[in-house]
Amino acid sequence: MPKYMFIYRGGHEKIKHASPEQIQQVMQMWMDWIEGGTEAGWMLDAGDGLKPSGAVVNTDLSVTNGLFAESKALVGGYSLVEASDLTTAIELAKDSPMPKSGGIVEVREIANSGKQDA
Amino acid sequence: MKQSTNQLVEHFFRHESANLVAVLTRAFGMRRIDLIEDMVQVAMLEAMHAWKQRGIPGNPAAWIHHVAKHRILDTLRREKTYEKAVALSGLSMADQSINAQESIVDQWLEEEHLPDSLLRMIFVCCHPSLDRKTQIALTLKTLCGFGISEIARGLLLPSETVKKRVQRAKNSLATANVQLELPSNDQLTLRRDAVHDVLYLMFNEGYSTSHGTEPIRDDICEEAARLCHLLCESPCSSPATKALLALLLFHAARLDARTDEDGAVILLEDQDRTKWDRCLIGTAQSWLGQSKTDQPTTFHLEAAIAMQHCLSPSVEATDWGTIVLLYSRLIQLRESPVYALNRAIAMGQAGDTHEALSQLQKLQNREDMKHYLLLDCAFARIHELEGNKEAAIDSYLVALSKTVAPHEKALLEKKLRKLAD
Repeated sequence: MPKYMFIYRGGHEKIKHASPEQIQQVMQMWMDWIEGGTEAGWMLDAGDGLKPSGAVVNTDLSVTNGLFAESKALVGGYSLVEASDLTTAIELAKDSPMPKSGGIVEVREIANSGKQDA
Repeated sequence: MKQSTNQLVEHFFRHESANLVAVLTRAFGMRRIDLIEDMVQVAMLEAMHAWKQRGIPGNPAAWIHHVAKHRILDTLRREKTYEKAVALSGLSMADQSINAQESIVDQWLEEEHLPDSLLRMIFVCCHPSLDRKTQIALTLKTLCGFGISEIARGLLLPSETVKKRVQRAKNSLATANVQLELPSNDQLTLRRDAVHDVLYLMFNEGYSTSHGTEPIRDDICEEAARLCHLLCESPCSSPATKALLALLLFHAARLDARTDEDGAVILLEDQDRTKWDRCLIGTAQSWLGQSKTDQPTTFHLEAAIAMQHCLSPSVEATDWGTIVLLYSRLIQLRESPVYALNRAIAMGQAGDTHEALSQLQKLQNREDMKHYLLLDCAFARIHELEGNKEAAIDSYLVALSKTVAPHEKALLEKKLRKLAD
């Protein structure tokens, strides 16, 4: 079965001023969604969040930072899922907490995902 | 990261944020409270981000304490104002190393030491330089970890108003450099009375059904009881503190039974008493037992009345005679038209509708009771008890003309329909 990478982008602005209780609710939403997917079998790896800071190594080997911290589409995390086709994967992504918390999900098929099963 | 359970305790972030703000403000001073709140928020967000996909660590509180503490220490170091911060913190050890400061914070964050910092913060939030409304808003923000919009929803105020109120309070406490210390012995009684008042009013704000039935309002009640419990367990408590806790718990036991699925209000006489929380009633009784004193306060008497209701299987079986006596003692302690109104209802329930009506008529002449909906409801109730249906309907109609609140209207209309049947 094809595998897809869910790349979570943005959503940082909306939660920045959330109350502690709201933060807990968003987290609970994530954990329930991941638990559901893991039990159903399509969530292969819940993945992890990415910290907003880091560095960029450019082609001339110069190193820059802060480039992406400004971006509204900053990658905040990733997960690995399994789905029969892109349409099914998209439906799974729609159910994720990302759209509800002001962010987006990029759905990308893993290049050799069919062969990994062999 | 080791995965424990996927459920945090209820209100974990709310309470940890309150714990951290109390301890860090105690360590770094009231002047730093805005920065401290920002850093605590950063720690909460970092925790969510780190845990949401990988699960909750074995000791989530320690994780979050560690991050918050380091965020604030890093910022202070960066600002190169560390020395100043130490000087302002009241620790008055200018040569104290940052490590020593860190270890004090660590110690205060230990579970058995946390209540001490929270207690100090309670007395700061109820500081005599602030008015009652501000004290309530600041307590909800600082000690209960509520967000501005949550406080606004809970207290039915515009967010801007709450925001300004809280910010002004923090500014004035910071300017006065108020220390997180417990009141001195000669101040304790006065300062404790203020805390009692704030907790009592805060609970009422959450409990009063005239403000609707948002879930956040139950949270306010729960928080008032939690803080009262904290005070009870401290050396700063008095018999009145324990009576107040008993009172809050007797009321809290009835929280779930006082509204139906649609959020409509159910009056005491119509409540399903099997829905009352027996466990809470038991706890309340035990606190009332521990509150014994030869100088009972209004809290003692109000708790005793609430207990009469909680222990009675029905309205008819309620010991209304005792309730009348308790209200009379309350009125001796503090003249209040609301006590007088409730005593009149109790008199009617006890069978003396004649005296009840004459008491209510006296109240009707008071300017401050003219627009008081509950007075007309009380008249209606007494008329109902004496079997005068028509007069009861008239009184409910007067009450109906005095309200625009939809749930109050719904309740009164329900009463009228029942009488018309």
